Amino acid sequence: MSAGYNFGFLDEHAKKEVRRAILKAISIPGYQVPYSSREMPMGRGFGTGGLQITLSLIGANDTLKVIDQGSDDSVNAVNLRQFIEMTCPGIDTTTRLSEATLIQSRHRIPETPLKPEQVLVLQVPYPDPLVVVEPSEDKRKIMHGEADYARLLVKLYEDIVKFDEITISHRYPTRINDHYVIDPSPIPRWDVPKLDNSPALILFGAGREKKIYAVPPHTKGEPLAFEDVPFRVEDFRDAQGKRRACARCGATDTFLDEFMNEDGSKRYQCSDSDYCDETLEADMMTEATTHA
Amino acid sequence: MSNNFKAALQSTLSGIWQADTQQRTFRQIMNAFARPGVIETLEGEFLEGDGMLLTLATLLDGATTLADVDGLLSEHDLARLEVSTLAAEQARFVLTHGKVAPAFMPSLGTLESPDTGATIILKIQEIGSGNRLKLTGPGVDGACEVAVNGLHPAWLAAHQEWNSAFPLGVDMLLVAEHQVMALPRTTRIEEIK
Amino acid sequence: MGYVAIKGGGQAIQGAEDVLEALRTAEGEHGTPLTTQSIEHQLRLLTSRIVSEGGLYHPQLAALAIKQSQGDTLEAAFALRAYRSTKPRLLETCTQDTSRMRLIRRISSAFKDIPGGQMLGPTYDYALRLMRLDLANESPEIFREVAREFLAETPEPNLPDTFPKVVEALRAEGLLPPVENHTETPFDITREPLIFPVPRSAALATMARAETGSILALAYSNMRGYGDVHPTVAELRVGYLPVMLPHPITGEPVEVGEVLMTECEVVAMYEDDDAKGAPTFTLGYGACFGHNEVKAIAMAILDRALQKGMRDGPTNPSEDPEFVLLHIDGVDSMGFASHYKMPHYVTFQSDMDRLRTTQQKHESVKQQDVKQQDNEQEVQV
Repeated sequence: MSAGYNFGFLDEHAKKEVRRAILKAISIPGYQVPYSSREMPMGRGFGTGGLQITLSLIGANDTLKVIDQGSDDSVNAVNLRQFIEMTCPGIDTTTRLSEATLIQSRHRIPETPLKPEQVLVLQVPYPDPLVVVEPSEDKRKIMHGEADYARLLVKLYEDIVKFDEITISHRYPTRINDHYVIDPSPIPRWDVPKLDNSPALILFGAGREKKIYAVPPHTKGEPLAFEDVPFRVEDFRDAQGKRRACARCGATDTFLDEFMNEDGSKRYQCSDSDYCDETLEADMMTEATTHA
Repeated sequence: MSNNFKAALQSTLSGIWQADTQQRTFRQIMNAFARPGVIETLEGEFLEGDGMLLTLATLLDGATTLADVDGLLSEHDLARLEVSTLAAEQARFVLTHGKVAPAFMPSLGTLESPDTGATIILKIQEIGSGNRLKLTGPGVDGACEVAVNGLHPAWLAAHQEWNSAFPLGVDMLLVAEHQVMALPRTTRIEEIK
Repeated sequence: MGYVAIKGGGQAIQGAEDVLEALRTAEGEHGTPLTTQSIEHQLRLLTSRIVSEGGLYHPQLAALAIKQSQGDTLEAAFALRAYRSTKPRLLETCTQDTSRMRLIRRISSAFKDIPGGQMLGPTYDYALRLMRLDLANESPEIFREVAREFLAETPEPNLPDTFPKVVEALRAEGLLPPVENHTETPFDITREPLIFPVPRSAALATMARAETGSILALAYSNMRGYGDVHPTVAELRVGYLPVMLPHPITGEPVEVGEVLMTECEVVAMYEDDDAKGAPTFTLGYGACFGHNEVKAIAMAILDRALQKGMRDGPTNPSEDPEFVLLHIDGVDSMGFASHYKMPHYVTFQSDMDRLRTTQQKHESVKQQDVKQQDNEQEVQV
């Protein structure tokens, strides 16, 4: 009963529906295209939306990279990668960003800029940034169509009045091509600037909420902000104002994970594990050459 | 072996109906939509038909609708595409010749659901030579130039008019032999005289 | 402490699978594996839940899903639903006529007697909920004896038969509005996303796949007072519905099999008819695969509540199509509840960054205030 699944698990009609939705998503940057979203054999919320996009795109010529929290070895990334390997015989998988043609990711955009021939698929739990100000989808669709984000801006402004700071930490509302405001998925603010004028196509899949949207390459992506309270990425400086470095590779220009040591002290390490590995290898190469 | 059976067998084996050919073709069409002005040359075993039939086989099935305005498809191909046909005013996909001016008003979608605006597939003579166009907008790094041959100028005017109230609009895919190029609703087109 | 070990994730997942299997077989060497036949029949109400929530009428696969998920209904329905999404659709059924159901149970609470008679059938409604200790150590011999006797004592004519529908009698009397002939294609929730407003057929299809506990909770809110349906069960029927498919060549409907299902029709108080004619009772409809009476009743009540909400606008949650239909799917809701167990440390890092920044601002403002107060006191002195 377990054998005999179609290449890519989904049947070809399901893939065609996703593909048609992707074309409309690209043509209307930032607009959430509804689609029927089939049940996948992993939980809603575990990346079923991203997975349906990946399975509708992937072919035998592809090399796939799957990451979660920036890591290829996170349990969820391993699980998704194994499932895709099992249902798509003939494809290659990799942990190296430079080798990948398709990248499926949860919560991070890789540190190294993407290449034009790559496609990034982001998994989305909540696709609609307006949900915090308007519970009815019916009304939100009209607000999006009219690019009416006044209530969202008021919400941001209330934050500033209360805390003197915009308190949105991740899923930062970002305006695409001067019209639609998207939820860029739970990427940290650190990754939001990568949406602007991206060399690669970025696709967003929300399986449970049955939506697909896109940020095409070379498209304006602007985080909502005010003139006097600018958008700010995460601050990784210590108390003395010095930028913290990755304890493993020494990088000072990456998003860092924070670890608690047994003695209560903290250490920091690159969230993007492939970037960390490559930096480490490059350092070792340089060292080897110097010693030689 | 009867001729009918042979034809049926051939159409089953023919590359354009195969899932892996359609997957590769879709990636090319997707890249065309993501990068207006980029010309993709479709590959596939063209035992029958050309880039147009492959494009339609890749995008259509029984869950969507098509208007074949100029009767470019045979009954046989229409049946194999499994697509329901509708008038050009209502269909989600409209297939038409690019050399004649449009004589219909396609669906532009609604403010709430602009994705219901039509995808117009235009058969033209050649992409890469002919009238030069300058394109700007999402997907284009600054601006780019592309030439098309066999596209009636009224289509450029229609693209501008139908897409004047974003997010409402139509998205166009030009197909010439084995080449495709997309002009989504966000693309601004200027003729280079 | 070292950095996050690369390659640990895959091993952890394998380990989790191994211990799940270990627990499933924890009875040890004297254990007997459950057969899917035993599950299908001895846990038939559980199987019923899974075929209906999984949206696929396949009791054997449902039984397997129950076995492999160790009895978790949400997981089992999920596995069945995922299996379903890999199957292409080859044919579509025409509208099925439930008056052709071969019934094992039918009751009406609206009338003392109904044409064809009340038939209590298999129900726990009037059973005393006392522990049946005799089942704790049931011998296979007694088990088989019960089966043999029941069949031997049941004469042929008592096998399930069809009955007229109670609502038809009400309709004939003019107490219910006549059936409108709907020609539009029913909304297909497996192929189209719900974009509100949705037609009633979309609501019915969504509720037919709903998680039993979730749909019951929302219907219960209406019964308790967040709503005003006040239903009477015109008829509740359980039985086997012959499934008709168009013949591939002639197009004539032919019977291809049967599905066990539960159907419930509730009648609610009449309403003004602005448009025309005499007022009539209103109807709520519920139906699902398998034997699941609570679900069919809950669905019928919500159908009636949603019809009102769709017409006049919702005045409470159970009348709001968006609220009801987007929160009753077990696969969606359990998946999302579970996903919070996945790593979220990148977003949490972001959260901490915001909190620390805000705390620092708060601290500096406080210090300024203190300084200002000190200054003011100095001035006073």
